[in-house]
Amino acid sequence: MTLLEAGTRQNSRSRHGSAKNSPPGDLCLKVMETPNAPNSEGSAAVTDPPADLSKRLSALLDGIARGDQAAFAEFYQLTSRRVYGMARRVLIDPELSEDTTQEVFLQVWQNAAKFDPQAGSPLSWLMTISHRRAVDKVRSAQSSTDREARYGASTQDIDHDTVSDEVGSRLEAEAVVRCLGTLTETQQESVRLAYYGGLTYREVAERLNAAVPTIKSRIRDGLIRLKTCLGVS
Amino acid sequence: MDEGRNGRSGSFGDTVAMDLAAGRAVDLAELYALDAVTGQERDAIDLYISTAPEAERLAFLARVRQSRETLARTFRAEEEPPSDLFDRIVAQLPAQFPKQDGPDAGSTAAAAPTAAVDGLAGRDELAQARKRREERRGSSGTRRWLVGVAAAAAIALGGVGVGAYMADQNDPVNQVARASDLREASVNVAGGGKATVLISESKDSAVVKMSGVPAPPAGKVYQMWLIPKDGSAPVSQGLMDEQALSKPAVVQGIHSAAALGITVEPAGGSKAPTLPTVAAAPLGA
Repeated sequence: MTLLEAGTRQNSRSRHGSAKNSPPGDLCLKVMETPNAPNSEGSAAVTDPPADLSKRLSALLDGIARGDQAAFAEFYQLTSRRVYGMARRVLIDPELSEDTTQEVFLQVWQNAAKFDPQAGSPLSWLMTISHRRAVDKVRSAQSSTDREARYGASTQDIDHDTVSDEVGSRLEAEAVVRCLGTLTETQQESVRLAYYGGLTYREVAERLNAAVPTIKSRIRDGLIRLKTCLGVS
Repeated sequence: MDEGRNGRSGSFGDTVAMDLAAGRAVDLAELYALDAVTGQERDAIDLYISTAPEAERLAFLARVRQSRETLARTFRAEEEPPSDLFDRIVAQLPAQFPKQDGPDAGSTAAAAPTAAVDGLAGRDELAQARKRREERRGSSGTRRWLVGVAAAAAIALGGVGVGAYMADQNDPVNQVARASDLREASVNVAGGGKATVLISESKDSAVVKMSGVPAPPAGKVYQMWLIPKDGSAPVSQGLMDEQALSKPAVVQGIHSAAALGITVEPAGGSKAPTLPTVAAAPLGA
């Protein structure tokens, strides 16, 4: 199966090589995409970074940096659902979300050469660009009161982010839900308000009627706990 | 990780400035990675970190990196973008997109490089977005911002069956440059270099060429404005980043404008110009 085929449906997150099974990791890709794959096979990959996807996206960014249009098209196919999905959560408005997505990919085209694999995974690089863009836009387009009101409407299905039913991504999603569960409710709430609400720590504090230093600590501690649970190193 | 330090929770100050002054920059890494600070605070943190002792800087950067990985894995909303979005993106790619001999390339040969500004003027506003949507439905020739990029470049995208992309066949730079009533004006740009403006009343357009102008500072872009004769608010004509600087840009609808101004704005552009302008050229005869 080719990456392109996978990309037309969704990000091929499921094709994680498993670091724990290291060298044969690549070989179990097919197994992981089989609905009947034993859970024990798949669960090894749950908290592993999606190494395969990262490798592929890195190679595509190399190509984009050289002006390779096919690489750009494939990169878009593999990642545009994530970029647009996040933009919709933050901005709500479809037009603004399209604009953001468009700007993000123009930036990818122009700045692919600046991507440094040592400094993080390609998906993290992309989502950093995307979130920053979306947040800049939402802050200039809407008052924070608006945003808070809109945020309420956007949070209801927060735990069903991933519509995909593919085994690998479902397992990854389950790991995320489990790890989010290790945060206190107030930590979760603060991190989510900042991420999808586009709020600053001060706005989060105002909204939750909490002291500013308290909110800063909640966000910091919440993210660190999440990082530890997911095994991000 | 590093639970000892985090055990100091509660000792955050009320402001980022207080945290920096108290030597707690590293503890701001998560807020920073989450974009949960204002633009000014971000700048202050960037400045602090860029001059911080290496150990502190590396510790900060490591925690930012880990936070970003964590966020990318945690917040996984997906939604299919509109099916024509990719085509629209490709149509806006800067002219550096190398020309390829697609099946239709013959008809578009000999095009000059054209405006690389991405045509996203006024992109902060909902109203602008709606306007754009309406304009997409109508004639694309009515666009008033800088005419898009990759004009006349036929781009073949191999492997995905997208085929060739045709942007604007009537290369706007050439159209203006060939006008019989062409006038030229040149103004210095604060910070170095100059902007040359080719003006054609009959085409109701101007071509702006920058030469020797330095790239905008990090996180900033140049933004071009038409300043209306009637004293109303300047109208954004689009943004120029480092790449776009080297290419001529077309500004249309100059008949009602007294001057063309260029300002430095935060990335993404502004709704109103931040003064002073770095260059301003009168457009009147």
